[in-house]
Amino acid sequence: MDMAVGTAPALVVNDLHKSFGSLEVLKGVSLSASNGDVIAMIGSSGSGKSTLLRCINLLETPDAGEVYVDGELIRVTRTRHGAKPADHKQVDRIRTKLAMVFQSFNLWSHMTVLENVIEAPVHVLKKPRAEAIERAGELLAKVGIADKRDHYPAHLSGGQQQRAAIARALAMRPKAILFDEATSSLDPELTDEVLGVMRELAADGTTMIVVTHEMAFAREVSDRVIFLHEGMIEEEGPPGDVFGAPKSERLRQFLSKYRR
Amino acid sequence: MSDALKQSLDLSMFWEYRAILLQGLIFNALVFLCAASVALSVGLGAALMRINRFWPMRVIGTLHVEVFRNAPDYIMLVWVHFVLPLLIGIVIRRRVEFHPFASAVIALGFVYSGYFAEGFRAGIQSIPRGNLDAGRAFGMSERLILWRITLPQVVRRMLPEALNLFVSMFKATTIVSLIAVPDLMYNVSMVIQQEMRPLPLYTGAALTYFLLIFLLSVGVRHFGDNWRRKVMT
Repeated sequence: MDMAVGTAPALVVNDLHKSFGSLEVLKGVSLSASNGDVIAMIGSSGSGKSTLLRCINLLETPDAGEVYVDGELIRVTRTRHGAKPADHKQVDRIRTKLAMVFQSFNLWSHMTVLENVIEAPVHVLKKPRAEAIERAGELLAKVGIADKRDHYPAHLSGGQQQRAAIARALAMRPKAILFDEATSSLDPELTDEVLGVMRELAADGTTMIVVTHEMAFAREVSDRVIFLHEGMIEEEGPPGDVFGAPKSERLRQFLSKYRR
Repeated sequence: MSDALKQSLDLSMFWEYRAILLQGLIFNALVFLCAASVALSVGLGAALMRINRFWPMRVIGTLHVEVFRNAPDYIMLVWVHFVLPLLIGIVIRRRVEFHPFASAVIALGFVYSGYFAEGFRAGIQSIPRGNLDAGRAFGMSERLILWRITLPQVVRRMLPEALNLFVSMFKATTIVSLIAVPDLMYNVSMVIQQEMRPLPLYTGAALTYFLLIFLLSVGVRHFGDNWRRKVMT
């Protein structure tokens, strides 16, 4: 095997641009995450955090720029009519390496928790069902909802649903997990149970890109913090610097809102 | 009680001919099952066309729905049985005839495909976008998402409406006797011609249909509600 691939960063994003109509949401964003990195992305609503995350797994197709996952460039065709993935099979394959956890959980409501967790391993990764079920059992125990495996999402609390969604993401054994405001639609006490699971994952060495409004989590758990403002990286660095000694005036303003 | 009324309430004659009438009823069920399969698959196809990205597909899908939803099933049956073979015959320059059973299945299947298409379309569009995003984010192909995520939820949402459609479809199978499909009504007419006793025979047929459809729909509704309740909020 090529050594360069083995040591490639889990994720590299190069000069990403994305517009919706005349609104330019991302104006050239670059970042890179090595294996085991936890990167926190902060910024006010509309700063492009979620769009950046969705461009990484091609839920949105970037207008310009490059995304490498595990050393592999995602090929995009660009025409006058806009951008689209060059090879849907490649996109599907790369997405199996990048699990995502959504703000609104997005569990499949017609499947039990267990079925949600084994769905993609069985039907996308083609794992034997018995093996997938066994692994799902371990993961549900890890996130603390082993007793809910046969429940439907509608019968779970938001926190339990999000923990199920995290188990579903882990079941893919992804190179990295993208968290899109995973706790923003939860009550404070439910937020803590989900953040607890995320802290554990970080401690296990999971590569995570975390879009979040939880400043305490970003400060304590992440290796690097990126502050996005109007589609550009306004400031980035280790959490100690970003929170302890913010250089940009906008970041100071932004952080002051969380200190009340 | 007048003699005529007594006669109409005396269903023994209906019972006497049960074997031949049951055969007719089985034919109804056969027409129904085949037409329902046509209606469901053509309906799903039309629904997928109606929400297609390419506008010509959308136009075809919409046309399909409008044409078949607005055609009376009797007219459609007569047209498919008598006119369509003529048209095809002119095109391929050969005499064509449809078996009445085939005409019945095509006509009923297509008329009801218009209704099912609308049900499917509304159902598909009601699936939260996030459900599809989650499928995509986990590397599922659009096809896999349709079969594993969208349609299972659509079926649950559509169930009450689909049940009503199936009931009216089963009722509509009675008109196939008009083109000599040997269903229950057709056999009843044959027996009436022989016995000259329309009252008990038609009354028996009416009661048979009523009981059958009533029991079936109660059963299916009960089963369907339990199944839906587990998953819906």
